[in-house]
Amino acid sequence: MSTLHVLSHSPFGDDRLTSCLRVIGADDALLLSGDAAYALQPGTAPFNALSIRGLKLFVLVEDAQARALPVPDWAQAIDYPSFVELSIHYDKVNSWL
Amino acid sequence: MKFAIALFSAAHAPSSRRALLFAQAALAGGHEIVRLFFYQDGVYNASGSVVTPQDEQDLPKQWRAFVAEHQLDGVVCIAAALRRGVLNEEEAKRYQREAVAVGAPWELSGLGQLHDAVQDADRLICFGGA
Amino acid sequence: MPKSLLMISRQAPWSGPNAREALDIVLAGGAFDLPIGLLFLDDGVFQLASKQDAKVLQQKDLSANLQALPMFGVEELFVCADSAAERGLDPTALSLEEVRALTAKEITALIDRYDQVITL
Repeated sequence: MSTLHVLSHSPFGDDRLTSCLRVIGADDALLLSGDAAYALQPGTAPFNALSIRGLKLFVLVEDAQARALPVPDWAQAIDYPSFVELSIHYDKVNSWL
Repeated sequence: MKFAIALFSAAHAPSSRRALLFAQAALAGGHEIVRLFFYQDGVYNASGSVVTPQDEQDLPKQWRAFVAEHQLDGVVCIAAALRRGVLNEEEAKRYQREAVAVGAPWELSGLGQLHDAVQDADRLICFGGA
Repeated sequence: MPKSLLMISRQAPWSGPNAREALDIVLAGGAFDLPIGLLFLDDGVFQLASKQDAKVLQQKDLSANLQALPMFGVEELFVCADSAAERGLDPTALSLEEVRALTAKEITALIDRYDQVITL
């Protein structure tokens, strides 16, 4: 079983990313949506934590673009049709509300 | 694939727009939405009383159009709706409240409908928080 | 075979309606005889702190509902050991006796076991 975890809160001043990274499994993936995209801000603790983690990492392209966040080569920017496909590819979706 | 989509945040929350865009993409991709379930502040997306500024996205209107166009099952959790003042005509009468905020195509019902949708669908996707 | 649902409750008891509305989903599932699990994670562990007094805040006391969980057929109850420890709570001295303390690795496996998850 594999899970697509979805985050939508900024990683700064919020513990969802940290908690998610504690429990995310080897076969799981993580989608950054909304303010969670700020985790891709280069030179920050969340950015560094994600860069060394070797996760399957996705970000909604509209959220990276709106925030002028570069998408590193260890992450993949996706659109909504791809989001739908991902939700099918993984066995379930866990949104950290 | 059959999707159950649950929305926990209000119309002005970015996650509500994301939920709608996901739902639209799911149908465009040839999938089925067995139910839309609005819970917690998600009930506000069904409110006909929301007045959206002209220069902003009118999510309640877009949701209503989406549900009507595709004849989807749009359920609003009755307990969550009552405590947030999103009442249909029946509940407004029952509790003697002035404002009727929700009507067709939305249906007020219980959490059993969420569980029912989870059992029926292949995937449950929740949107909410920020 | 009915699909199983894991509710991850990660907010403190009175931080808005989240703790209560998460519990309502669990109780509704139990009432329908569905396989439901409940994990207390992050600030959610504070829902299990002992000697709480909701009345002082004029809030509903959730602990009665929590104690009722096994009666609703919800017996898969878990708490994140790390979250409890970080918040100064002894996982063996929580208000809900039936709750099992899990490590992060065990939580990964737990999430894997369930068909669906809601994290609130």
